[in-house]
Amino acid sequence: MLFPENVNDVRKIILEARETGKGLVPVSSGPPHIHGGSANPDAETVCFSRMDRIIKIDRRSRYCRIEPGVTFGDLIPKLAESGMRLNMPFLPRANKSVAASVLEREGVLVPKYQYDYPDPLLTVEAVFGTGDIMHTGSASGPGPVEENRSDMVLPWGPATIDYYRLFTAAQGTMGFLTWATMKTEVKPSLGSLFFILSDELKPLTELANDICRNRVPDEIIILDRASFTDAFADSAAEEEALSGAPEWIMLCRVCGFDRYPEERVSIYEGYVEDACARFGLTCEKQPSFLPFPAEKAEKMLMDCDRREVYWKERRGVRKELLMLAPPSKTPDIVSAARAEIPGAEIIVQPQVQGRAFRIEIGVYGDGSEGYAKDTDDLFLNAAKKLMPLGAYFDRPYGRLPELVYPEPVSLEVIRKLKGIFDPDHILNPGKLCF
Amino acid sequence: MSLSREAYRELAAVVGEQYISEDDFILAGNRAQTPEIPFAHPSPDAILLPGSVEEVAEIVKICNKYGIEYIGNVTGCIPTAYCTRENSIILHFKRMNKILEINAEDRYAVIEPGVRHVQLYPEVRKLGLSYTAAAVGPGGSVLVNFCATGGDHHCQYGTSRPTRYLLGVEMVLPNGEILRTGSLQTDSGWFCPESPGPSLRSIVKGYSGNSGKLGIITKCAVALDRCKGPAEFRAEGLSPHHKIYMDSDCSSVYVFNYKSIQDVCDAITKLGEAETCATVQKYFYLPLTLMMTESANEFWEKWPEYKKIFPMPLVVHIATHSAREREYEEKILFDVVEETHGTRIPREIERWWEEHMDYFMIVARLQSVLRLGGSWLPIKTGAESLQHMCDVYDQTQTFIHDYTNAGKIFDAPANYQIIPMEYGHFASSELLFMWDRKDPQSFRYMAEFSQRSKEEDLKNHAYVMAPYGFGKAVQEQGALYSHCTDWLARVKDALDPNYTLDI
Repeated sequence: MLFPENVNDVRKIILEARETGKGLVPVSSGPPHIHGGSANPDAETVCFSRMDRIIKIDRRSRYCRIEPGVTFGDLIPKLAESGMRLNMPFLPRANKSVAASVLEREGVLVPKYQYDYPDPLLTVEAVFGTGDIMHTGSASGPGPVEENRSDMVLPWGPATIDYYRLFTAAQGTMGFLTWATMKTEVKPSLGSLFFILSDELKPLTELANDICRNRVPDEIIILDRASFTDAFADSAAEEEALSGAPEWIMLCRVCGFDRYPEERVSIYEGYVEDACARFGLTCEKQPSFLPFPAEKAEKMLMDCDRREVYWKERRGVRKELLMLAPPSKTPDIVSAARAEIPGAEIIVQPQVQGRAFRIEIGVYGDGSEGYAKDTDDLFLNAAKKLMPLGAYFDRPYGRLPELVYPEPVSLEVIRKLKGIFDPDHILNPGKLCF
Repeated sequence: MSLSREAYRELAAVVGEQYISEDDFILAGNRAQTPEIPFAHPSPDAILLPGSVEEVAEIVKICNKYGIEYIGNVTGCIPTAYCTRENSIILHFKRMNKILEINAEDRYAVIEPGVRHVQLYPEVRKLGLSYTAAAVGPGGSVLVNFCATGGDHHCQYGTSRPTRYLLGVEMVLPNGEILRTGSLQTDSGWFCPESPGPSLRSIVKGYSGNSGKLGIITKCAVALDRCKGPAEFRAEGLSPHHKIYMDSDCSSVYVFNYKSIQDVCDAITKLGEAETCATVQKYFYLPLTLMMTESANEFWEKWPEYKKIFPMPLVVHIATHSAREREYEEKILFDVVEETHGTRIPREIERWWEEHMDYFMIVARLQSVLRLGGSWLPIKTGAESLQHMCDVYDQTQTFIHDYTNAGKIFDAPANYQIIPMEYGHFASSELLFMWDRKDPQSFRYMAEFSQRSKEEDLKNHAYVMAPYGFGKAVQEQGALYSHCTDWLARVKDALDPNYTLDI
């Protein structure tokens, strides 16, 4: 395993690999590695754990710049000290690399802050498979990056190509990231969390579509009872109590900021309550089945999972099938997924202003090779059934590339781009369609 | 030059004789100067009006076969919509002007290149939806603004620029194959722009579009937002002497003047932190005065007064879901304005916005700003953090007076706009020149200032916008920006080895 400490080390590793023809695969997070993107028997691992500097936190322009080894456990408290927060996934593990999370286009909790799918990723420094160092967006220039007097936050370009999008969901096949700039948001001074309950998913997705288009919620997520229990229960007694919860639980938080926070929260609470009434739903602050104070859930929603056992490891070794869907198609896709995948635990997250939902399906097993193979097969077969219903597998792991790359024109173009940026195919060889 | 008869016959067979022309009076209209573009362009050899993506693909294959360059054109508002050399044809997309779908539930619209803002915007507004319609007037092509150009709108403070709202795209590649990007790649609909894995969306558009240099986009989906303010509005009179009102207790407009751009920056930052207001902008006062007056004579009458009243106007539109929320946002707005030393402009002038609420949707009479000299030229168009863009324009004030005091350029030193987006995370900017297209000296002075401005930005390592395009001169500039033009050239080489797509 190789441990670079700076961009020049990364460049040297890549240039040497070009000479030897040896494959390289990046890893930035601690275990577990659920999706398998960083596992490659044909490549040497480049571990970014020593590149763990928080380079900059800027309160005025609301961003941070970090190396790939910086984890959620490191970054969340540092941002809080500056009065800011990340738009981050639901309860990520503390040792998860923040940069890896945004690069992988993981779902985020606050859709109103997300304007397109790579958001909150802004600019990156990366080394292509050619060994060339690229600075994207406004980090590109003019001149050397250390002389650039801008904030280096503009994600687009430089010029007419969005280079940063090439690195997203690429599993390290296009280049290795050495720092990332990310959008941060003002930390609310007041919050109010609603639990909105239903035995059917559809009323909740309709509600989410309605309130997200009005930019009402801050954090919003829909969990099935099993996922909710895995995430929040800390004892057998709490698990038992949560068995009485409805099938679906939406967490919806509205916030106030520094100016007149009570007034904003009151207004936005009213919007949530009105919308719930329109959809025949009730929202509660402390539902009766909840065996702990609601504040516990609210606090966890804003942090990573710092417990000894990560919530996605509580029931065994987890594998996940991930997809996106438009709001109108989400309930049918989830119903079909439940029929196809026994024991599936499901999370539905409104994304990009609520214009799409990320559906995360988890199953558990013993971690054996047989389990891994069976699950890959199960997911592939399920995906074949879900795709005609409108499911979109934008982050294809396991065997899903077999399903999502049959179209020859787009395949030819992405391979041409790979030929430009990694001409010797040394970066995570064999992954995706390469 | 003219097309070979063999090439002409093959092209005519694709679109039909009625949709191809070599008539000089038709070609002349596509090489002539326009008010916005005072350059003569080489004449195309023919104009074709394709009716479908399949026809475009066939045309591209024929162009490859005969070595003919081709370029797409919809409204002809930008120089890149015209030929740059001989042996070229223009594909005009006025027949491909259909709104193919408006999906109100999933909030997107699918359109062809010929769809204008005046077609799409009213249709989505009726559904309580909106989109960030570029500040080009109602006649602009929606697809071009989302895909091919920058497409910024001066009201994107509470939203973002079109780059963020471009979804699935159908594009004819330079080899004539049809590429579909994002969720279209797996037949999963138009809703997601990103490909499975590394995203082909990357080559569709960066900060600006490729102006069709990597492919001709024949359909795209654009994301829709809930409209800010009421879905319906009241109109009086006929354009350009119209008035547009938003009669709602959830909508209000305020305009303040500032003495310092850093105070403006503070005000926008504070409003953004509170996530209040739908539109906040520092607009340019010269075009504003032109839009607020009916004639050149009236402009000259009002300009001395207006340039004192709002040399640095902060225009604010509050659009909320309830009257209570409007009152809450107004309270914050007035606190912030007081803290940042802003002063409200007189009511009789502020009322202009209340009577012209199209300003916050699609500016209906934008072209009236050409009234003074017949030409405009935006320079320093770019974006970065709000603070950086304010610093860049603050620095401009250190040398612009050399030009205004000498009478070389119009005496309006603060005639730039700072348009925040995503509640102040970024801001786009533009310094707009009004100049006399009949006066060669006017053009030279403008070029002189533009060059000085570029040199100052480079000297200060200030990011405004990276260069784009092809050729040695551009590539030398691109070397300063992570060699972006070299990478673009490599992508172009890979997709268009014959360079038949006009550069």
